[in-house]
Amino acid sequence: MMTKIDFTVNGERVQIEISARARLVDVLRETLGLTGTKEGCGVGECGACTVIVNGKAVCSCITLAAGLNGADVTTIEGVSKNGELDEIQQAILDHHALQCGFCTPGIVMSAKALLDANPNPTTQQIQEAIAGNLCRCTGYQQVIDAIADAAERRMTEE
Amino acid sequence: MQQLQYACPTTLDECLLLMKEAGAEAMPYAGGTDVMIHLRDRAACVQNIRLLVDLGKLEPLRGIRLENGMIHLGAMTTHAEAAHSDLLHEHAPFLAAAAATVGSQQIRNTGTIGGNVCNGSPAADTASPLTALYAEAVVQSAGSTRRVPVPELYGRNGITLTPGELVMEFVFPSFAGWHTAFLKLGRRKALAISRMNVAAALELQNDGTISGARIAPGCVFRSPDRVREAEEHLIGKAPSRALFAEAGLLSSEEMIRRTGVRWSTEYKKPVLEALVERALLQTAGLPLEET
Repeated sequence: MMTKIDFTVNGERVQIEISARARLVDVLRETLGLTGTKEGCGVGECGACTVIVNGKAVCSCITLAAGLNGADVTTIEGVSKNGELDEIQQAILDHHALQCGFCTPGIVMSAKALLDANPNPTTQQIQEAIAGNLCRCTGYQQVIDAIADAAERRMTEE
Repeated sequence: MQQLQYACPTTLDECLLLMKEAGAEAMPYAGGTDVMIHLRDRAACVQNIRLLVDLGKLEPLRGIRLENGMIHLGAMTTHAEAAHSDLLHEHAPFLAAAAATVGSQQIRNTGTIGGNVCNGSPAADTASPLTALYAEAVVQSAGSTRRVPVPELYGRNGITLTPGELVMEFVFPSFAGWHTAFLKLGRRKALAISRMNVAAALELQNDGTISGARIAPGCVFRSPDRVREAEEHLIGKAPSRALFAEAGLLSSEEMIRRTGVRWSTEYKKPVLEALVERALLQTAGLPLEET
């Protein structure tokens, strides 16, 4: 059974018909072609599919797309500004906080949700914010360093 | 599986009517963190579902408020909202603490307390403090309301709600002034389902003696419940490591009495005893390690 949704993705209004049971990750990747969001486990445990819905980090693999009428969704494609990487993305590169990169879009989204709400987080708050993002290559130290650095860069730029 | 339909009622009456009409074919949708996985797995519990009823736009199911000494916790309160609620930190701190241990930030942002309980898992983290608080679920259907103590929501085969019924909110007395703790044993720090947990609360008199006690272990009995013998054992006495160790022992004896000796008992018995003892030590502000 199809249902209509009207929501915002990366600042653009989107009106589409989707299956009532469609997951947000499928609508983003298959319908809208936004393949930056990755599906890992499919059950909300690995965080690779993390996107921001109304300011909060959520797993798009366990989010019902039909429920998003009026929602504001940001994916990894909506993070950079005018072709320039944002502070989190740049800091992840500078700190070598990725290897295979599959988990990275999700980590960036978790970090962005954290810094947008809390511009000056403690190390523990950073750890809690990314505890739902599994990375099997890098380890987490570089990721934590990168997010702390990104927070500093954001504050000096303001 | 049948074609699935989606409805997003904006009033409670509309929601209850939809659920009444669809009966057992309706599935309430709260945060979706469990339902979406059941749908993906085509699990038995969603085989006959033809209507998802999204509860996301129902205002009466939201918010936390204090009314005449009772806390009303909306069923659609997310774990993140509960974990950061000033009202809960004052009136039921161990419930906020339990909510903060659920899943990851992403899960806490979407998953709800109502969903945590109504999913029917005896490992639900928030069910232990709700049990210790004597929380009642306000269960609404088209035309009737009933109040059910949280442990009684759990039946032999999952949750005891009948088709058309919806948990609106949880109501419990303020525990302001009590000392509380929630301890959880998981396989790792984040994103772990409880292997076992304990919610404990103590009311202490000015002379230091215990005048009220609640001990509610999770994943120990068939459904969340208190250990009354261990609670009663504490009343009128002063907090001490030895006393709390006795409460731990009474708790494990109660577990064996109710569930019998199983393959896991050799593990669960000392773990439950230690968790109860430590939860009570933390509650009373005593050091966890012997000095």
